[in-house]
Parts: sequence; C-alpha cells; structure tokens
Amino acid sequence: MFSRFLVTLVLASGLSAGMAAAQEITDRQLVGSLDQLAAEAPAVDVGLLVDEVNANVGKGVGQLPNWSLLAQLPQFAVDIEFENNSVAIVPESYRTLGVIADALHNPMLRHYKFLIVGHTNATGKPDHNLDLSLKRANAIMVALATTFSVPSSHLAAIGVGQELPLNATNPKDAANRRVQLINLGVAK
Amino acid sequence: MSKRPRILGALTLLLFVAGQTMASAQTISYADAMTVLARGCGPDVKKFCKGLNLGNNEIRNCLEGNQAEVSPQCTATLASVTASIERRLAAQASVFKVCAGNVKQHCKGVVGEVHILQCLIKTERIDSEKCNQAITDAGWR
Repeated sequence: MFSRFLVTLVLASGLSAGMAAAQEITDRQLVGSLDQLAAEAPAVDVGLLVDEVNANVGKGVGQLPNWSLLAQLPQFAVDIEFENNSVAIVPESYRTLGVIADALHNPMLRHYKFLIVGHTNATGKPDHNLDLSLKRANAIMVALATTFSVPSSHLAAIGVGQELPLNATNPKDAANRRVQLINLGVAK
Repeated sequence: MSKRPRILGALTLLLFVAGQTMASAQTISYADAMTVLARGCGPDVKKFCKGLNLGNNEIRNCLEGNQAEVSPQCTATLASVTASIERRLAAQASVFKVCAGNVKQHCKGVVGEVHILQCLIKTERIDSEKCNQAITDAGWR
C-alpha cells in the first residue's frame, strides 16, 4: 500500500535528526515537536521571506538573513503527494492532512500561528517550481482552514521551490520535496 | 511495516460504521476520518474529481454532484466522515464553555487550557455528562 510517508524530524536547534523512513506520522509526534517554542525565538516576517526567495530564484535561500531565522523555530516536515503538476492532493495523502489538523487543534498548539512552506526538488525549471510550491502550500492551507476550520489568522503559506533542499548534495533527491510546518509563535 | 495502521484503520472503519447505527455516534480523529474517506471514496475521487482539492468543499461538492455515479459506499462514507468532523470541530470549539461550571467547581486556580483540561480529565467522575461528552468528542482524553 501507500508507504511514502517519508518523515523528517527537524529539531529546533536546526540539527537534522535521522530519517524515520517510511513511517506514518502521528499527531503526537507533531505536537511534541511543534510545541517546543523557545522564549527567545525570533520573530519572522513572512513578507520578507517572500521577497528574499523571489530575488534568489535558482540561487538558494539557505544563507539569507530571514530564511536562516527559520532554523531556530520548532518545525516538522511531512510528505504530501499531489497529482502531477497540480494542486490536487491525492487521497493517499488525506490522512497526513488529517494528522496536521488533529495537531493544530490540540490545546498544546491551538494558540500558535503556523507557516506552511512548500518545497520541490530540482527537477524542472526553478521559477516553475517556486510557483507550484506556493500553489501547493496554499492548497494545504485552504484545506486546513475550510475542511478542518483552523482559523485562517493562524495560518500562512509560502513556496520556496527548490531553493532550500534537505539534501543539498543531490538537489534532485525526492526527499527534497516536502512540506514544512513551522511554529511562528502565539497568534495575534 | 504499515500492516498495523492498516488493520487499525479497517477496525476504525468498522467501529465507525457500527457506531453510526447507535444512539450516540462517537467522533474519530481527523486523521482516521481522512483514512476512512480515502478508503471509501479514493477510487471515486480519482475517477470524478481530478484536479480538485479537499479544501473549499471541492471534493465534497464533486462527490455529491456526481452522486448518481459515485459508489453507494462512498456516498455513505462521505456523510459519516463529514458528520464526525463537524461534531469533533464543534466539541473542540465548545469544551471550555460547556465545562466552565465544572472548572469553577473542581479546577479552581488552574491556569491555561492544557492544565484545565488535565484537571477535567482527572475529575471525570464528578464532572457533568455534557462536559465529559464534549471532551470525548473533542478527542482530548
């Protein structure tokens, strides 16, 4: 059956903890990781992230000032599959969306705002990848906000295309295609 | 490797369908609801709703719009999944209102939703039925 739930746990320190290969995620894992917001966590301006990525298509964003801040925030990466070149989430990935909804409604997390970051691997043109990743991140945000009634003021979505690969030595690695959830702090 | 979730999912589906015929249906997690939906409607979604998304009721509208051709199993699944999600959302939104009296009585001085919830779970035996039902429906036990 469908077993491409490739899950990567990124610790708040920015260290990449080992891959929990081909394992289904649970809302407990999500809550446990996303709840660890440090008191000195930086404030992130989503608009500046967008500016930085738009100005650096094909050049990567890992070293840029605003994108580097994200490593200090609690985050979790999940794999959500879409139809080819489309924003339609395939039924096999509905569960992952449900897991995210369970976590975001949990009392531990439900007062926080979350950033959804869409990533592609480096197959295809960088600007097309950026565009598609944004549309897909938006599709996830809309599903969370409508089907699962997560307040839209608690959600933001951006795409980063191929500019922030998990595996930089092999930009075409499928593992680079992922969706990051990042805790931006208490929602206003 | 993924055997267990599968069996669990199947069990959940069975319990869920059985639950529908009982007086008080239980809610299931959003994750399980999505597994049930994908299993019951996945083929119909792929056949009739290409390019459409879960959000904005696109899938729901599509399946309901094609009801004549969609499998009866999917139609039933969609209805029960939608009902479970709605009930759980309502419970999650109302727990602290429904339980306010119990909090006043049994959780005096407890601060923050997480701690209040922990207190309410501990005092289950002496809390109101409505409050307990809301916590259960919210999936927060």
